[in-house]
Amino acid sequence: MEDKPPETTPDNGNDRALLIDPDLEFIEMLGFNAGGNFKKCIQCGTCSGTCTLTPDVKSFPCKEMSWATWGMKDRLRADLDVWLCYQCNDCSARCPRGARPGDVLGAIRREVVREYSFPSFMAKWSSEPQSLLLMLGLPIALLAAMLYFRAPLEEALGIVPDTDSTIVYAYSAYFPQWMLNLFFGFFTVVTFLIAVAGVSRFWSIMEKGQHLRGRTEPVMGRWQAIYVGLKKALTHEHFGTCEKSHSRIWSHALVMFGFAALTAVTLWVITAPYNPLIKNAFVYPFAFLSPWKILANVGGLAALFGVCVMGYERVVETDKNAQDSFSDWALIGAVIAVLVSGFATEALHYVRLEPHRHLVYFAHLVFVFALLMYLPYSKLAHILYRTTALVFAERYGRKIGIEPAAEPEIPVIEREEVAHVAADSQ
Amino acid sequence: MSQPTASSPSSGQRATILIILVILILVPFGYSVVSYMTVQAEPTEVFLEMPDPVHKECVKDTEYMRYHHWELLRNVREEVVRYGIRGEVSLDGCRDCHTSREEFCNKCHDATSLKPDCFGCHYYP
Repeated sequence: MEDKPPETTPDNGNDRALLIDPDLEFIEMLGFNAGGNFKKCIQCGTCSGTCTLTPDVKSFPCKEMSWATWGMKDRLRADLDVWLCYQCNDCSARCPRGARPGDVLGAIRREVVREYSFPSFMAKWSSEPQSLLLMLGLPIALLAAMLYFRAPLEEALGIVPDTDSTIVYAYSAYFPQWMLNLFFGFFTVVTFLIAVAGVSRFWSIMEKGQHLRGRTEPVMGRWQAIYVGLKKALTHEHFGTCEKSHSRIWSHALVMFGFAALTAVTLWVITAPYNPLIKNAFVYPFAFLSPWKILANVGGLAALFGVCVMGYERVVETDKNAQDSFSDWALIGAVIAVLVSGFATEALHYVRLEPHRHLVYFAHLVFVFALLMYLPYSKLAHILYRTTALVFAERYGRKIGIEPAAEPEIPVIEREEVAHVAADSQ
Repeated sequence: MSQPTASSPSSGQRATILIILVILILVPFGYSVVSYMTVQAEPTEVFLEMPDPVHKECVKDTEYMRYHHWELLRNVREEVVRYGIRGEVSLDGCRDCHTSREEFCNKCHDATSLKPDCFGCHYYP
């Protein structure tokens, strides 16, 4: 960087005062998700000193701890740094006050996801345990309604069973292919649009902060930033730097690539009727030794093993891990439910249990719906926001020490006005 | 600033593992492409052998037979074995049209790794 005097930002200048309007609900939610001790922070900076991921300029999580205790949601939602934290909890282990900064950043991410996703009632429901039954009831009701009205729907949509085709889905007896494709296709598009909207808001708010600080020049081209950011995400670069819980690199990679394998197989299966490579001769489920089946079974087992390790570490090796919150267990639970119900469906197919396998398959579809369609609201939203943050960090040079963008407009008032404002607000 | 700890893989190792995993995930796709190209020469349109036109149609429509024939056969077995009711449907009748088990029944059963126990007792050429 060039030789120039350090910039004084409005909020750290001594000649000005900052009007803070604490968001009490936000503070309460952070307490709910991160334990009640985060207000014990004395801003000693041990956390930032411990962190192996933070850049040296305006390092985290110290400043986020301060913003969190003041309930400054506007700053935190525009803060790139909370997404650069991988919650290894090295900082929580060394915090002299037991404020657990790592968990606080996790809770902030939880709230930021809620902030960016819409409709807001979905975000609210998916973050509270008492709405769990409602969230599972929604896909149950929708899917059951489609199955119940199958005949009138087929008539209305003009769908004729294609018995000439030699594409055979054995589960089509009760779950016709057109229905599953329509149902999941529609909701996937909706979820994708919601995800894009959230990510664009996140990006534009971060860019706005960048402009407010007079830093408009990106240090890296768009495509290069996307490449470098994605590469960091896929190679699990930041997982490897933790001292306390580096085993997470393996469990996370197993789940991530296990699901990548399952996604590949799913796409192959649902597009089978339109796939010229299949040549109109396809029977699903696959033979046990078909390469696709092997990929699906290995991927599923890998993901199941990985997610079980995650759960085990949370329950048994508690010192390694974060304090539990509902959203952590909701995601672990959803992943386990999807995988176990999937394997149960497969097993019941081989032992030819009718109609039991269809009931289990129904449950499997419900869990898949919950995992995929609640992605923008659940902990799984880290796929969206963390990847975006990694790309942004590259594009605007956060990782090479340029200050974070997270400084949105906060009312700054002159010192003599403070007395008036204080008087007004009483 | 950030040094990988002893037990976590280095940057190069992680990249190698990533490439290996991506290749593994792409193996079935490659297999499908290769088998598409190698089987290209043979006519594969007939997947299931068409039934001999002794009868014009089956005991139920094609859609039902495709997805529920096992329920039908199981119910028939139940009636015959438990209650001694011999109806019109029997595996004997199936053989009239679907002459080859290899070319008809097993096409789907093999493709889905199913081993129904019908043929343990019943002779079906």
